[in-house]
Amino acid sequence: MRLPKFRYVEPESIKEVSTILLDEPGAKILAGGTDILPNMKHRVELPSVVVNIKKIPELNFIQQDNGAIRIGALTPLKKVYESPIIANNLSALSSAASSVGSYHHQTMGTIGGNICQQNRCKYFNQSQWWRSSRPTCFKAGGEICHVVNKKEICYSSYCGDVAPALLVLNARIILQSRDNSREIPLYMLFSGNGKAPLNLEEGEILTEIIIPGKAKDGFSTYLKSANRESIDFPIVGTAFWGSMKKKEYRVAFTAVDRKPLRGGSVEDFLKGKDLSEELIEEADQIASKEASPVKTSIYSPSYKRKMMGLLLRSAIQEAMGRGK
Amino acid sequence: MKKGIELKINGDNHEVLVSPNNTLLEVLRDKLGLMGTKQGCDLGACGACTVLINGEAYLSCIMLAMDAVGKEIITIEGLEEGGALHPLQTAFVEKGGLQCGFCTPGMILTAKTILDEEEHPTEDTIKKKMSGNLCRCTGYKKIIEAVMSVDEQTGEGA
Repeated sequence: MRLPKFRYVEPESIKEVSTILLDEPGAKILAGGTDILPNMKHRVELPSVVVNIKKIPELNFIQQDNGAIRIGALTPLKKVYESPIIANNLSALSSAASSVGSYHHQTMGTIGGNICQQNRCKYFNQSQWWRSSRPTCFKAGGEICHVVNKKEICYSSYCGDVAPALLVLNARIILQSRDNSREIPLYMLFSGNGKAPLNLEEGEILTEIIIPGKAKDGFSTYLKSANRESIDFPIVGTAFWGSMKKKEYRVAFTAVDRKPLRGGSVEDFLKGKDLSEELIEEADQIASKEASPVKTSIYSPSYKRKMMGLLLRSAIQEAMGRGK
Repeated sequence: MKKGIELKINGDNHEVLVSPNNTLLEVLRDKLGLMGTKQGCDLGACGACTVLINGEAYLSCIMLAMDAVGKEIITIEGLEEGGALHPLQTAFVEKGGLQCGFCTPGMILTAKTILDEEEHPTEDTIKKKMSGNLCRCTGYKKIIEAVMSVDEQTGEGA
């Protein structure tokens, strides 16, 4: 499968990248390439310019800064989960990074690229030939959704593994453009619009992820159910963070909505309580109602909802020291 | 627009004229005749196109050729030394770790990165790290046995 034609540039500074993005509305960023290049081969993404940002050396790092952990957007996923700081303190992030795709995707793929990946749908992530048998969907530039019969809404799901883990760790991100730099909580990056999943202003790129030091004070994990154990996108992914001492808990889900979701109701339910078997039963029930997945993959919405509860159940059991 | 680039493959520099939309796989096979690297799914899912980029396992079908400039590229052709097969290659032959042979170059290169990083990887590590290399003849057991046998002899040849 040939890639479509494009102009290729290798800027050496963030300012230069931003200027290109501002001048060329059709430009797209290339980091690890494991998401955008298959999409380009399928002709669902057709950038006029491909901006390879890997020549910017200062975006590949993991640092401790006053207790917080700062990760450069171009840090490969493998480096993220192999880092002792992360493996020992932030197990949700290391399990999420090591569950992405296959080992090859972890060596090539970057943490920033994983966060900013395209939403997915069984009618979108297909070859041009496959898609040609029905009208083009919203996400691919057409006028119809094959999943939900509603006008002008794209229901593609966000399927990143790393984002839910970072959400329960209360991560913040830095977005830079030619003239500006801003720090926002990660959840604000996700728009919930399937067609344009990221809230980025023109010329902005994600440069850094910051995990507050307090995230290290709790237990955290990321559990994923996938078609094959290691090489697939999640059917459902659940991240959990808990501080048994403070009785505070955070839950996030992926692959169940147009953006990664925090489980607000189940968090409220767990807050201030000691984890117990009885609590798990109820948490399972509440978690399975946190999202309304639609049939964007071959798995039914009801199966996904059940998995949300079951994965949270396993995560809490792990937290109680009774799991593995 | 085509551009002349220099790629360092198996220790040798190759000058080649490429378009921005050429993948490294296309350049290796179609322009340089290095047919050892296979084109499988061509979407980064099967591992047949695995090459080593600065010692790490990369999928050459989802890597731009221009992005490989300045990096050390190793393909399956680069493993033998002075006409002698690499211990992993010998192990695959002796343990029957290949049937049709299509996945073998990718399997061997991924296995090499595992053994380069860890002298005695466990079977679980091998299975996990090689899970992105698919064998449609399904001869996984013998492939894992082959990798383990090289580990047992600490790389001194099977």
